Amino acid sequence: MRSTILSLSLALALPALPALAQSPKAPAKAGAAKPAPSGAAALEKKFKLKPGAGGKLCLDCHGNFEQTLQKASIHTPVRARECIGCHSPHAASHGKLLADEPGKVCATCHGDVVPAKAKSAHKPVAESKCIACHDPHGSAVAKNLVKPGAELCADCHKKLVEAASTAKRKHPPIEKSGCVACHDPHGSAKSTRLLKAAVPELCVGCHKVESAFFLGKHGNYPVGKERCTSCHDPHGSSQAGMLYDTVHPPVARAACAQCHEAPSSPTRFRTKAAGAALCKLCHTPRINQMMEKGRLHTPVLQGDACIACHSPHASPKPKLVRGNLVGVCGKCHPDTIQRQERSPTKHAPVANGECQSCHDPHSSELPLMLVDSNPINVCATCHNWEKHASHPIGVSFKDPRSKNLTLNCLSCHRAHGTEYKRLMPAPRTTDLCVKCHEQFKR
Amino acid sequence: MTPAKIGSRALALACLLATAGPARAAGFALRPYLGVYADAAGAALAGPEGVACGDDRLVVSDPGNARLVSFQIKDGAVVAGKETKLSQATYPTRLVLEPDGSLLVLDGRKRQIVRLDAAGGFAGAIDFKPASALAFPRSLKEDPAGNLYVLDTTGKITVLDRAGKVTRQLEPPPADAGAAIFTDLAVDGTGKIYAVDAVAAAVWAADKSASALKPLTKSLKESIHFPSAMVVVGGRLLLVDQNGHGLVALGLDGSLLGRALEMGWSEGLVYYPTQVCVNSRGETFVADRNNNRIQMFLPAQ
Repeated sequence: MRSTILSLSLALALPALPALAQSPKAPAKAGAAKPAPSGAAALEKKFKLKPGAGGKLCLDCHGNFEQTLQKASIHTPVRARECIGCHSPHAASHGKLLADEPGKVCATCHGDVVPAKAKSAHKPVAESKCIACHDPHGSAVAKNLVKPGAELCADCHKKLVEAASTAKRKHPPIEKSGCVACHDPHGSAKSTRLLKAAVPELCVGCHKVESAFFLGKHGNYPVGKERCTSCHDPHGSSQAGMLYDTVHPPVARAACAQCHEAPSSPTRFRTKAAGAALCKLCHTPRINQMMEKGRLHTPVLQGDACIACHSPHASPKPKLVRGNLVGVCGKCHPDTIQRQERSPTKHAPVANGECQSCHDPHSSELPLMLVDSNPINVCATCHNWEKHASHPIGVSFKDPRSKNLTLNCLSCHRAHGTEYKRLMPAPRTTDLCVKCHEQFKR
Repeated sequence: MTPAKIGSRALALACLLATAGPARAAGFALRPYLGVYADAAGAALAGPEGVACGDDRLVVSDPGNARLVSFQIKDGAVVAGKETKLSQATYPTRLVLEPDGSLLVLDGRKRQIVRLDAAGGFAGAIDFKPASALAFPRSLKEDPAGNLYVLDTTGKITVLDRAGKVTRQLEPPPADAGAAIFTDLAVDGTGKIYAVDAVAAAVWAADKSASALKPLTKSLKESIHFPSAMVVVGGRLLLVDQNGHGLVALGLDGSLLGRALEMGWSEGLVYYPTQVCVNSRGETFVADRNNNRIQMFLPAQ
């Protein structure tokens, strides 16, 4: 009875699936040479199944596919009733009777979604998690996606998608085609970040860089070969011209010649001065303030100087910082960042890239560029240490281990983490305590 | 800490000499000998940054107290710490003790190098003018002939003879060469210059006649976290691993010989060490900055 109902349902559903008639597995035209057996036919032969039993038979039991088969986008093997294209009909070493590991099953037909020499690959693809984005049977969304484009991307890239959709100045390609306007969701042979082409080639596909309008907007500097995303947020922005939220004032005024040579110069992109000397032309008081202190952070004057940490044009971060400080500071201090990453207890300022909460990134009178000579004061900006513990700390209490030290938070904790819990430099609390309280050591 | 006897110090020296030279310098170990905490008046050190030493004298830069402290090394003890405060050097960071007893001091705040005579009096500033108005000396070393080697904040190395005349300059390696932040330099008996890149934990070198620094080592990140200072001693390079809390010995060919010391607060352990000096007896003085002390070590027997 059940199979009768199912057959009837399928019969009703099939006319609604126009692609079915164009199935690649359709029989060869009459008069052609002896046709090679289709994939399903070969598998039916392998499993010694009756003709057509590779899929239609399955539906006798798997009646819930009735709804799936009515969806707008049906996976080709499902449409062709070739369940055995992906599933083993008898037994399997993999879940859901899959013929192989999930990614490998998909790769039998879709092995080329990631280019051979990809410069970037989407994480779910690299991890063979195709079903994170695609329904292997059928979906209401084209390409068997489990959700419509941007909504699907937002499952992992929520902040980015939200920012793009709520931006005051939206990027038209996103509105028109979503993320895939610029990104290949599987992998890219041409660029990092899954971009369909590298920047600026991708951008100049739409933007006419030779136009008078374009040049005028860029202070008459021919920036068509420069990296657009060093100033513009391709996902939309609150700023005019889709510049990043924090814009260097000369850039906002298109006063490029304030720092660079005139646009008519053959070396037009060269700056008028090198390193910090250029920035000092406007930021004299700030740089003088830095110079008054005993310790200067090395990058302030060495190499690229200010622009080692700050973008000279625009940045999504306040104060034109190039990015989250975990990355900016971690460029030169990777050990410190890695120590935090390995630590079972995370210190929030380090994890969140708030290095400046404890360290002055420019200059200081104190070792390690600390902002206060008393670590207790630094920690107290977040932690109410008086309620933290009954252990005495403060300048009145000498550290028994080192007579020129007094007890403070760093006597028992390491701010960037340790291999032990609670940022402590010992596996157990007692191991730490007996460093000072030796009489209790056993 | 129990002070060692002179006999053991002599033995330690013998060990140092025995391990000198790349071919025989396998391994590197130190044993704690004593800690230096205060001057003769009992004024405690506060974040001592630099050390310079001879066989009978130890000078400490103590920027936390805006002073220098000069100690005598006598009969295995470090005694009679005498404070010197100078208006020309209120934030002393690096030191060079010259054979005649005069002292070169690099000041972090005024960003100049000043000379003190053997009695501790101000004897003038070194006339060092980097090419850029925003370049300042970052570290300095002197060779036995009295030539002064200055690393500036742009990464450039300038060599001045005793008369103050510039005799040689080495530009920092180009950005695409992989160099990042030079924190210190050293010079060996042949005039070969070494510079240490703290970010990559790599050493660069230039022979006496070379016009540019070349990599001596690959990144030693697995063995060194963030080298802040370097000296040539006993035929090897001794690097201070500030953030890794230890000392690392390299052969002059860049080969890794060993690592000594660990992080901690008790004597024998170090907490953000910054600089090191070794005298001819092999006595090793470490500026144990965040423990507010100088520690003296002897080579392990």
